[in-house]
Amino acid sequence: MNKQLRRHCDCRNYAPVDVVKGICHRTKQLILGDEDQCEQYAQLDKCKYCEHFAAAEEEFMGSCSADAAKPWTYPDLIAITCASFKGRD
Amino acid sequence: MGKKLSEVLEQSGLSMNFEAGGSAPESMVCREVSDQPSPRAQKLRELYYNTLSSATSEFPYWYTRFHKALDGELPIMRRALALKEAFAHLTPTIYPGELIVMGRTHHYRGSYPMPWLSEGYYMAKEDELHKAAMATGGASADELSKFGTGGGNVTQSFGGVVSLAGKFGMRQEEVPATLRIAREWVNKSVDDVCRKYEKMVPEYPIKESIMRNVVCIMDSGFTLPQGREVINYYYPLQYGFDGIIAICEKRKAEVAGRAGGDGITGMNRLYNYEAIKVVVEGIQAWIENYAKEARRLEELETEPVQKQEYREIAERLEWIAHNPPRNFREAIQLCWTAHLAVLNEDVASGMSPGRMGQILFPYFEQDKEKGAIDDREVLEWLQLQRVKFTCIDVFGSAGVVGGVLSGNTFNNLSMGGLQRNGQPAANELEKLIIEAGKRCVTTQPTLSVMYDEKLPEEFLLRAIECNKTGTGYPAWMNNRNAMDFMMRQYGREGMTVEEARAWSVGGCLESSPGSWYELELNGRKYSIPGGSGQPTSVGVHFLGLPKILELALFDGVDQRTGERVFPAHGKKLETYEELWEQFQDYFRMAVDCLATANNIQHDIWRKQNMSIFTSMLKARWIESGRLIHEMGYKYNGTYNVESCGTVTLVNSLVALKKVVYEDREASLDELKEAIRNNFGFKTAEEVKSYSLADQEKRDESGAYDRIHYLVLSAPKYGNDDRYADVVMQQWEEWFCPMCSEFESLYGLPMYPCQISVSTHAPMGAATVATPDGRLAGTTFSDGSMSAYAGTDRNGPYALFNSATVWDHTMSQNSQMNLKVHPTAIHGLEGSKKLLELTRAYMRKGGFHIQYNVVDSKLLRAAQREQEKYRDLVVRVAGFTQYWCEIGKPIQDEVVARTEYEGM
Repeated sequence: MNKQLRRHCDCRNYAPVDVVKGICHRTKQLILGDEDQCEQYAQLDKCKYCEHFAAAEEEFMGSCSADAAKPWTYPDLIAITCASFKGRD
Repeated sequence: MGKKLSEVLEQSGLSMNFEAGGSAPESMVCREVSDQPSPRAQKLRELYYNTLSSATSEFPYWYTRFHKALDGELPIMRRALALKEAFAHLTPTIYPGELIVMGRTHHYRGSYPMPWLSEGYYMAKEDELHKAAMATGGASADELSKFGTGGGNVTQSFGGVVSLAGKFGMRQEEVPATLRIAREWVNKSVDDVCRKYEKMVPEYPIKESIMRNVVCIMDSGFTLPQGREVINYYYPLQYGFDGIIAICEKRKAEVAGRAGGDGITGMNRLYNYEAIKVVVEGIQAWIENYAKEARRLEELETEPVQKQEYREIAERLEWIAHNPPRNFREAIQLCWTAHLAVLNEDVASGMSPGRMGQILFPYFEQDKEKGAIDDREVLEWLQLQRVKFTCIDVFGSAGVVGGVLSGNTFNNLSMGGLQRNGQPAANELEKLIIEAGKRCVTTQPTLSVMYDEKLPEEFLLRAIECNKTGTGYPAWMNNRNAMDFMMRQYGREGMTVEEARAWSVGGCLESSPGSWYELELNGRKYSIPGGSGQPTSVGVHFLGLPKILELALFDGVDQRTGERVFPAHGKKLETYEELWEQFQDYFRMAVDCLATANNIQHDIWRKQNMSIFTSMLKARWIESGRLIHEMGYKYNGTYNVESCGTVTLVNSLVALKKVVYEDREASLDELKEAIRNNFGFKTAEEVKSYSLADQEKRDESGAYDRIHYLVLSAPKYGNDDRYADVVMQQWEEWFCPMCSEFESLYGLPMYPCQISVSTHAPMGAATVATPDGRLAGTTFSDGSMSAYAGTDRNGPYALFNSATVWDHTMSQNSQMNLKVHPTAIHGLEGSKKLLELTRAYMRKGGFHIQYNVVDSKLLRAAQREQEKYRDLVVRVAGFTQYWCEIGKPIQDEVVARTEYEGM
């Protein structure tokens, strides 16, 4: 699971080109999103890294407790524009 | 294996690979070469070549989440607030080397579904009940539409990527969320709601049968409700986004609680101004998120030049998020941002930038005067703009995106034409736009010249030189024809000759009304054009003319499916006149039920899914406070009736007239029998290909050879043969005026639109053999004035004579595609010849012509080794597309077109 959580596509410096690959802002190289993180990994804010996120039984689904209505969400939703994001320690 | 169609035609002296006006050299000839893109543009274009079409659920998630939470709000405010949150939550991505930034999503070539328009595709995947309910026409068109297998199309799922609609890839971990979002729109989407009310139209069963049997290819209200129109960038350029919000606040105070003499929509003005303000705030947040990302990258970056570029990007975005642009770079970024915002607001193809070179000219002129920019820099920015436009994807079903659009998005940039005062409008910036198009060949924006006799020769020759490089653009549109059409259609809405000059091309070649706006920059005033008309190519969306003839011949029964489409007419069709009248009856019946059903679709769309940002750009909103759904645009009579397969219809009528009714060399029953048996050929399903080149004979009995030869030998349109041309004239002089018998939901008359885009492939696939000898399942003729592949044998001027036997100003457009071998127009002399050819067609009254300058051998080589030709582009029908992203039936049709070897 941890390995899954730390892919290039979970890095803040990964500029996604498409659903497979992206450009690393550090190296300027094209890299595959699903490959393992490198030493310069900087975690990208996503729902799955937020304190308000609770995983659901259904795979790839969850809910957000930042809103009183606890709307559903999904773990890989990028949250850098979410004012309620609170990273887990 | 039986004989191939190509061999049969060859033996009949009707070669499929016909060369007119000479012979092509034996060896393959490449197009004339132009300079390369700038290294920066080259690198970003290369990145595009290696990018997959990628879909995300980010925008739909936030839109749906807030829309749901706002239950009980006014419909327009609910939509505005949902749009605001969706824009504000988009993740910004900036790629190294970019100067113009921002994209539809965080992917380079990104898009997303909008299930609030239609969620059926997703539900069909997971919900059996919904799947059964959706067993309607759309699915048939989807099944018959073929994407190219190369380029960025994700035609199959792989690894952790799921293919959607046969084109877009979505990461596996986002698919459950996408399906959940879709579920939330069941019975609420425009598609679902309008299905309910459409059924109240008495003719609905005929309409559904028409859709199921692909007599018509698409419903427009929930597929591509907007587009084929021209955006207007004036308001953000003149006022800036803060200025627009200030205007909204002022107008709200003036109209709140006051009907202003309009008891129906007067009170809406308050909500409309508030909705505009809210959406603009979302767009400001979206721009600022990109600015923050640029600042972050500036911090991260160690390379000084790139660091400086990130800083400048941030400064530009921080400024334009609130203020009117001060210079060329800010203006081009703002126009791009506004363009993207329009595309993110609704599903739309053919949202055209219009006369961008004339709109940006004030900034270009003043920056050059100040020495703030030079031509070299402008040229690079224009190339970068091309790459950005090419990255646009439209998310829709396979039938729409593949079958109709061939994956193209039709962002048409118009040049030339006339200024407000009647003087030629071509300018220095437009010359650079052409040069950027030559150097950085991409599919978007496609270019169009609004040809006018007043335009300078030097400008026209530059445009021709661009054609010679094989880009397929610019297309040539007749300015005076379009102005006449504008007056004809929009005169009732107040169009003047002066305003008619502001038209430009929306989509591939839909002439679209515009207006003049006074832009003030540093105390100087400029009159700039901008779009002011509603979407076009909405209404009756592509009627297959040969298919309707088939139904007339076979008493209303589709010969492919065996299903009854129209009520039986029971006539023996003993005379040509009787057949023609029956065709007219069925055609009118089809237009009527499609118009009423589509009016309901668009009415539901305007009530639930009205455009707010696009309306702000285009409507006379400051003065009137009304938006698109309240006829707030200056010109609202834009709905039309679109045809497909004109020349296949004409050639079929000619063959029937000649062979059956006049010469009596075969009876109607014999010809119908031959059609039912596909003239002795296997069906396209049997040979597993819808391509012309792949069709083969079932056996060698020769039972239908004679009749096939007779109809193939009958006169054909495109040869200056009066026998055939009279039929073309008869068709056009009936079709064009009859469209105005039908009215759109806005109570305004419809008009004809005569372009095929790519529909001649899937509609051909759904049609059995035709009386002109065309085989079942193969493409119809392309465009509307192009000859059927290989049948124009007397040279281009004969083709022009045939094409202009009717008055093109009665129609929104007509379409002529011509394939020219590079050697025919080599050098400066060749350029002049091609310009003279173009001029000749325009002077004769033709509306549109476009050129494929290519050696057919090159196309065949590219079919064999697709991977070697990733950057090869061709002109299809109103648009330029990457060869590898086009389905094989269309590829074969382009190869089979007559190749002109000399002028």
